[in-house]
Amino acid sequence: MSQMTGASSLVASLEAAGVDVMFGIPGGAILPAYDPIFSSSIRHILVRHEQGAGHAATGYAQVTGRVGVCIATSGPGATNLVTPLADAAMDSVPVVAITGQVPSVAIGTDAFQEADIRGITMPFAKHNYLVTNPADIPRAIAEAFHIASTGRPGPVLVDIAKDALQAMTDFKYPNSVNLAGYKPKSVPENQAILDAAELITQSSKPVFYVGGGVIKANASRELLELAQLLGAPVVTTLMARGAFPDSHPLHLGMPGMHGTVAAVTALQKADLLITLGARFDDRVTGKLSTFAVNAKVIHADVDPAEIGKNRFADVAVLGDLKNTISALIPALKAALAKSQPDLTPWLRQMNSLKSAYPLGYDKPSEGSLSPQYVIERLGKISGPEAIFAAGVGQHQMWASQFVSYENPRTWLNSGGLGTMGYAVPAAMGAKVGAPDTTVWAIDGDGCFQMTNQELVTCALNNIPIKVAIINNESLGMVRQWQTLFYEGRYSNTSLDSKRIPNFPMLAEAMGCVGLSCEREEDVDAIIEKAMGINDQPVVIDFRVHRDAMVWPMVAAGTSNDDIMVARETAPDWDSQEL
Amino acid sequence: MAQHTLEVLVENSPGVLARVAGLFSRRAYNIERLSVGPTTDPSISQMDIVVNLEGHALEQVIAQLDKLINVISIKEILPNKAVPAIHDTQPDYQN
Repeated sequence: MSQMTGASSLVASLEAAGVDVMFGIPGGAILPAYDPIFSSSIRHILVRHEQGAGHAATGYAQVTGRVGVCIATSGPGATNLVTPLADAAMDSVPVVAITGQVPSVAIGTDAFQEADIRGITMPFAKHNYLVTNPADIPRAIAEAFHIASTGRPGPVLVDIAKDALQAMTDFKYPNSVNLAGYKPKSVPENQAILDAAELITQSSKPVFYVGGGVIKANASRELLELAQLLGAPVVTTLMARGAFPDSHPLHLGMPGMHGTVAAVTALQKADLLITLGARFDDRVTGKLSTFAVNAKVIHADVDPAEIGKNRFADVAVLGDLKNTISALIPALKAALAKSQPDLTPWLRQMNSLKSAYPLGYDKPSEGSLSPQYVIERLGKISGPEAIFAAGVGQHQMWASQFVSYENPRTWLNSGGLGTMGYAVPAAMGAKVGAPDTTVWAIDGDGCFQMTNQELVTCALNNIPIKVAIINNESLGMVRQWQTLFYEGRYSNTSLDSKRIPNFPMLAEAMGCVGLSCEREEDVDAIIEKAMGINDQPVVIDFRVHRDAMVWPMVAAGTSNDDIMVARETAPDWDSQEL
Repeated sequence: MAQHTLEVLVENSPGVLARVAGLFSRRAYNIERLSVGPTTDPSISQMDIVVNLEGHALEQVIAQLDKLINVISIKEILPNKAVPAIHDTQPDYQN
């Protein structure tokens, strides 16, 4: 035990927790902590906006599987973290946020830069702390990292009063954490595994409904083995892209509002959903009462509150998915040895849908650039090891559809909260976590204007990300809804000009290489040029066709049975034997 | 609809009432009656929460309450039953 300031105790605790990098901005209340940070082994990356720090921590965590860390001061510094922390909560990302708070004697007096960030983050943070006693700092940090990274991962905020940072204290980092009210279940019950295996052997139309939990649990290899053992089709949700190789013959693609016809129909027509780390989100189920009406459900998840939340589970398997799938493999082998269902007709139906309705797009007739083509080429040229972070909107859906994901932790996006502006800072965090890997932000022109300031951070800190702006001069997804549901009344979705701002010049001003492209024949060359620049961030302004739409589509609140493959075009169900 | 009483043991830490009340509010459930008092252990308080819920909604409230780190255990006092059903969706498993 040694005497030091609370601030030094905080930094020593972060070091003891294994932190190697954090993203943040100093300010008055957190200032004492920045003095020991100055001499710490932890790399601190000075961002340009606290929201950038939060999404960077998320991107780092998504790519590395480690806890991402962000740090900010009280009041506005802390409130600027609210969006990324809510984002991390919705997508189950392990993030620890450290915030300074006004001195404990000033709390409650409406002091300068005072905001009740613990109260503000209470509805969505996995947990949070307000520390006013310096002796509590090491325990709070140790618990925060434990809570953030175990069970269902999530964001934890530690708010520390300035006087607690300034006071002298004894530093002793706890060897272990014991929380009476938090004992996440890691190993599933054997009976649940046996029940699941039994139910699978009784099914003739099973489908693996794979969610982001498989990636969180690092269970992709186990999933591959399980899927091949049963030989059943697999769908990967928006959060699970990369959990199962897109190139695998059993893979039907992404289900949901903009899913493939095969993936959506597989869920609708299945007699069993083998649900692994997915949560029956409304964007996947469509109108819940019409979702997979003939299917029984196996629901494997680490979070007990997800079981039965939106859909009744016939068999619930509670536990870490890596353990669950590992246990299910031998149990299923044994069950299949006794009773092997014939999945051939089911697979034939699904493969027929897969080949009849592949993802595709029409190129604009007047020769302007197709956004889907750009994204397809980005994926092809960058290869299966590259990491992609998307913003939110049409470009996000196309980036999910038209890039082929072969590996987990190569696809980052804001799935649950749908945070426009996620891409650039998340890509920054991803590149810090995987410095030797190509990292692309695929962003919209609307999204890019929300958080592009972090390109300054990237330029100054040797974080050479690449940004592809899919510039359609509009808030494209909202515009698409206006086209389809508001009679083409484009209220406030036009961003008006491809030249204001001038994205390449803006990029150059921020210390990046700025490029632009508006012809299909130039796409490959410009992507290859960007691939060759590795000492600076690169921004390409792809000036694309404005009226391209994301298809297929299940309109919000309608049934998955009403999926449209194009405007006013339903699949030709009569030609399919379903 | 039958009233159910949840006996919730919580850590006696600042903000715990806000966490519990906020959870009901956020998930759009009503609290009919709420009382908070000490237990023999000064580090633990007991909340008695009366809700007009049953079935799936009641199970969800209990599961979500149990996710709060400061909630240690939840006992459901069933109407007209002397023996409480103990709900603990995160019981003493290995970590």
